[in-house]
Amino acid sequence: MTVHPLRLRGARDARQPLRVRANTTLAASGFILPNLVMLGLFTLFPLVYAFVISFQNLDSLGWITWAGFGNYVTMVTDPVFWQSMANTGVFTLCTVPVGMALGLAIAVLLNGVLPGRTLFRSIIFLPLVVSGVATGVLGAWMFDQNNGFIDKMLQAIGLPAVDWQSNGAWALTSIILVTLWQRVGFDMLIYLAGLQGVDAGVQEAARVDGASGWQSFRYITLPLLGPSTFFLLIMNLIYSFQVFDTVWAMTRGGPGYSTTTIVSYAYRLAFDESGPSLLGYGAAVGVAIYLITLAITAVQWRLNIRREHAEQGV
Amino acid sequence: MKTSTITRRGLLAGTVGAAATAVLAACASTPGPVAAGGPAGSRATGTKVTGTLTFAYWGGSSGETAGFAEIKRRFEERNPGTEIILKVLPYTGFFSSIDRGIVSNTAPDLFRVDYTSIGKYISHGVLLDVTPYFSRAETEAFLPAFWNSVTYDDRAWGVPHQTDTTAIVYSKKAFETAGIGAVPDRLEDAWSWEEFSTVAAKLRASLPASKYPFAYDWTAAGAYRWSSFLYQAGGSLLSADLKRPALPSSAAAKALDFTKSFFTKKWVPANNTIKTTVYSDNFFLNQTAPMSFIGDFLVPEIADKANGYQGGEWSTTFMPRDETAASDLGGNAIVGWKGTKNPDLAAAFMKFLVSEDSMKRFCESATELPTLRTLAAEMLDYPTRPDSLAVFTKQATTITDVVVKETTVPAFASISTTLQDELELGLHGGSSESTLRAIASGIREAIGA
Repeated sequence: MTVHPLRLRGARDARQPLRVRANTTLAASGFILPNLVMLGLFTLFPLVYAFVISFQNLDSLGWITWAGFGNYVTMVTDPVFWQSMANTGVFTLCTVPVGMALGLAIAVLLNGVLPGRTLFRSIIFLPLVVSGVATGVLGAWMFDQNNGFIDKMLQAIGLPAVDWQSNGAWALTSIILVTLWQRVGFDMLIYLAGLQGVDAGVQEAARVDGASGWQSFRYITLPLLGPSTFFLLIMNLIYSFQVFDTVWAMTRGGPGYSTTTIVSYAYRLAFDESGPSLLGYGAAVGVAIYLITLAITAVQWRLNIRREHAEQGV
Repeated sequence: MKTSTITRRGLLAGTVGAAATAVLAACASTPGPVAAGGPAGSRATGTKVTGTLTFAYWGGSSGETAGFAEIKRRFEERNPGTEIILKVLPYTGFFSSIDRGIVSNTAPDLFRVDYTSIGKYISHGVLLDVTPYFSRAETEAFLPAFWNSVTYDDRAWGVPHQTDTTAIVYSKKAFETAGIGAVPDRLEDAWSWEEFSTVAAKLRASLPASKYPFAYDWTAAGAYRWSSFLYQAGGSLLSADLKRPALPSSAAAKALDFTKSFFTKKWVPANNTIKTTVYSDNFFLNQTAPMSFIGDFLVPEIADKANGYQGGEWSTTFMPRDETAASDLGGNAIVGWKGTKNPDLAAAFMKFLVSEDSMKRFCESATELPTLRTLAAEMLDYPTRPDSLAVFTKQATTITDVVVKETTVPAFASISTTLQDELELGLHGGSSESTLRAIASGIREAIGA
């Protein structure tokens, strides 16, 4: 009697499922190992090392002394640290809700039957694919208070020129405006995707029941965009909290410390070549940024689980 | 007003003693490198060198790049069997790259460093001790102020390659419109602060509100150039022994009040401060200000027909003076990394870089100022605006011994950071008293006083 090779192989598989499973696991491990190595090398190791450095006095040429909690004590008593935290808070409060509202409004507009909507979508999305530094440099030119386009435009329509670079409040405003210009395309894109997932039948039913356009949007569309809103809220919060490139390219954190955000302060402390080169203290500020971002993520995680449970009726 | 004339000879004589004494005194209080090598000049005659060497510098201008490329070519021709690899990096991030290289033991054999940063590398003991490679005659060939800027603990840690300093460029047309007549063309006739103020006030009166009389080059790492006013007023940042801050002082208060008045009287653009993205040459080039304090290395940029100053004829004059004349120590040294595998080749290339012929060619190409006595005593053949460079050359004689010794202390990088942070606040309305106290506190911390 001859045995069919496939049957034989099948029989062997059935007899040795553990070995097969082991081989599969081995192959899978082989594929995932490079990623784990990269993750460990470029994410986990620097993270742990940053914690270690935050307990050191370390300069750019490697001189080390242990500082204990000295850098953290310095941090909590450093007025510039707290000012940079406050600036970051103001920046976040101004960019996140306004950016999301604008993104939603544009998405609703461009979700309808509008001539050239693909072109408009591309134009609005375009700033997002430009690097943050390039956007910042462009912003610095536009908001140049002596020769910039914005002041020229304001004056052309009879408004007074604004001291975008020498007045702290206006300097922060200019960064917020450039950030909104850059980020609104991302908000629009996510909301567009969300809008296209909203069941047209539900909206049709609402209209049949006599709902106005606003009521349909407020009570039908907006709640159904909850996952998009939630995702954007978290992403924007993290992005705003970690803003650096636009700030550095536009104002270097000045005038004074009025536009110094928490990340730009950490950069100035540790890496700016004309700065104090305090890598240990910079790492301590970095750890504070990490913990705050972690807290935002944890809140997102918990709220996400709660929302999923609510949707499933658990 | 009391003024004093500083001649080149006076500068040379003065700097020999005072700067050397002060720098040595500073060394006693600061941890420094362990001297290595041999007695001074013991290897000065040199032997045949071979091998490969990496030299890192930032590409400041096409003239600098061309100058270094020519030196490399000529050195390799004269020394068969050698190869110099030029590593051109952007200025932003240059020192971070060098520092990472030193920490990871992969630094270039030679690299460029400005005089305000050299102290950091010397005090960390990471530089090649080149003392044995230079004879007494060779070291004495340099202007003493500059040779002192690379010496520490009686050892030489590099070579002073070139220098630059600040002077004033101005629009002739704007001056005529404002009714400003004769402009000083001799260092001895440089404007006093009062005369400079009169000039600024005349320009202010003749300009629309959107234009400003002048701009100053204290942006970002250039904040230390504020000290020129301090020195002109007869003050200093540090005590004579370099161990304590010399602030607050009446001279410092006078200098700060004077410079703050630039803003209150609207003599400079409100955004011509420390933390800004607009530099003093930008204000001149875009004609926001018809007069600007700039470094000589910017002359080619201003003179460029296509992209340079488009506001008509421009000329150059000297920094103003008060109790005395003073200007900032700009420019760069070339240093070797202690870990180089070929110190003989490194020293040989360094010596070639600062040979009279090489320095002359380089400075002419890059529109910069030499550090050798013989070259400083003559006018180089600058291809671009030699009339302007003549002013800068004379202005460089006001880089006094006090300026040199304070600018090259090991802690100057930290002092510079303090000046940036505190002057930024002071120029934006902070009180002079608190600003000077804060600067003094920062200096005290930097030098460990």
